[in-house]
Amino acid sequence: MSDETKQPGSKYPAERLSPTCVEIPRSARADMRVPARIWADAELWKKAVSDRTLEQLLNVATLPGACGCVHAMPDAHEGYGFPVGGVAAFRAKDGVISPGGVGYDINCGVRLLAADVGFGEMKQRIESLVHDLARAIPSGTGRSGDVRLNVPETDQVLAQGSRSLVERGLATREDLEHTEAGGSLAAADPDKVSHRARERGRGQLGTIGSGNHFVEVQRVETIFDEDAAEALGLWKGQLTILIHTGSRGLGHQVCTDYVRAMDAVMARYNIKLPDRELACAPYESPEGKDYFAAMCAAANFAFANRQVITHAARQVFRRTLGDEGDLRLVYDVAHNMAKLEEHGKQKLLVHRKGATRAFGPSHPETPAAYRSVGQPVFIPGSMGTASYVLVGTDEAFGLSFGSTCHGAGRAMSRTAAKKVKSGQDVRKDLERQGIVVHGSPGELAEEAPHAYKDVDRVVQVVHDAGLARKVARLRPVGVVKG
Amino acid sequence: MLPTMAWHRFLDHTSEITLHVGAADWPGLLAEAGRGLAELLLRGAAMAPDGDWRSLEVTAHDRESLLVDWLNEIVYLAETGFWVPQEIEIDEASDAHLKARARGVTVEAAPSLVKAATFHGLHVRHLPDGLEAEVILDV
Repeated sequence: MSDETKQPGSKYPAERLSPTCVEIPRSARADMRVPARIWADAELWKKAVSDRTLEQLLNVATLPGACGCVHAMPDAHEGYGFPVGGVAAFRAKDGVISPGGVGYDINCGVRLLAADVGFGEMKQRIESLVHDLARAIPSGTGRSGDVRLNVPETDQVLAQGSRSLVERGLATREDLEHTEAGGSLAAADPDKVSHRARERGRGQLGTIGSGNHFVEVQRVETIFDEDAAEALGLWKGQLTILIHTGSRGLGHQVCTDYVRAMDAVMARYNIKLPDRELACAPYESPEGKDYFAAMCAAANFAFANRQVITHAARQVFRRTLGDEGDLRLVYDVAHNMAKLEEHGKQKLLVHRKGATRAFGPSHPETPAAYRSVGQPVFIPGSMGTASYVLVGTDEAFGLSFGSTCHGAGRAMSRTAAKKVKSGQDVRKDLERQGIVVHGSPGELAEEAPHAYKDVDRVVQVVHDAGLARKVARLRPVGVVKG
Repeated sequence: MLPTMAWHRFLDHTSEITLHVGAADWPGLLAEAGRGLAELLLRGAAMAPDGDWRSLEVTAHDRESLLVDWLNEIVYLAETGFWVPQEIEIDEASDAHLKARARGVTVEAAPSLVKAATFHGLHVRHLPDGLEAEVILDV
């Protein structure tokens, strides 16, 4: 290997292919089946080599049926099994499906709601609006949601996702059109979701949960692409709401159940792994099919969860603004999911763990309303910085299986973040910036802006690499956290 | 040799929490791992256990998966029953099966901080004076 192909800090041979991409060849480790690509500029590369991100990505490259390259997005960091920000595709006919490649929070994702009013008109009412949202939308540990489901109703949500909420008046047809997969994965089978998973999900529909989940009130600060912004119905100064949550305890238990089940049968399929958390089974096996059906059901629960939260946010806005209080769903997209997709005439199981699907204008799954620009993608930053609206590109389909980043990406452990600044100090900092904060001191300290990478840099890398295109930058004005 | 005092601590991880636990023997290690997880679920709040002892039982297919399944059992009980075991006695523990008794605290709200115990980097190691293990918890 020449000096030009060495990258600082890496114990593996690595070649910089472009200012935004580094490749680790298949020959780097004897057990790798495909090369690995890390989408990073020089600065983000330093972060990627500072923990076990690369080692975890190379472990993924050993899984049976891996296709093309495995990818780490610019926000990638060490996780368990797959790195967070990891993308890998496996042939459906002879490859595997891995619950650890999706993660415990199945279909964790984000949705953006756009108001008809601007921040300027609402400035004096933001504080009460944020507190009303906090009262209406249960967050953190404890409070249950208002929607109580009996067994048949739970089955309906698991089978149909957001679609099951239309008749209850909690979703509209337009909401479904503006949700990934129409908010309803047809492969879902509620019978594959255990009693334990249902128990953990009981009372959690319409709740945010804890950790890095939130509901954020924002204003559109900058428009980068006027045409795309217009297609998405966004304008400078507009008030928006970003919702970030997933399938709650139900999804966590589905992952727990199937990691356990697959760990027990891998020997039968002669699968040897460098990490047990990558537990997997052939997609075509009974265990693989069962997991996929259960994962789709949990994903439907997550779509419905974000939809019920949307309904609660709409009620708050209508109470506050009357007829002007409409909240339009721009789009809802997952960032923890395995999807069966066609790439180059092959059916592949594309695993995105902490990575967002980003299909371009010509993909049939891009909603009709957005065919001129591409599928919307939302990249939350941290509480004190910014979030981004992007659109997918046709180019990304060939570069990264149509995937892009999912956030700023953690750069610091929770313990380290708390040592830097207390929750009270984080709250004061945010309030000084004019951001209304609703959350416990512990959560605020752990999720402080300094615990994350620079979201502007992360988004610039995916923009420059062609993995997605910048449309708008959103500035937080109010945050509801767990 | 005196029996090793059981101990646990939390190690840094970029996005999750690593539970590092040690004890003189396997039953002691399982009990201490449960106490460590309880501390995390209660976010360090000092709460005295109340109520009767409850019986708990877990079956797995090897030593590492028993540790993971045991911790996931506690996560499940905490989230669905609003109950976190604190005083833990392991009555029987083989590599694939454990029987335990526990007294704990009833909490008003489900502690949802920990999603699951994972297999990533999981190891149970023999030390000259006992055992140690590391488990990454998804938070």
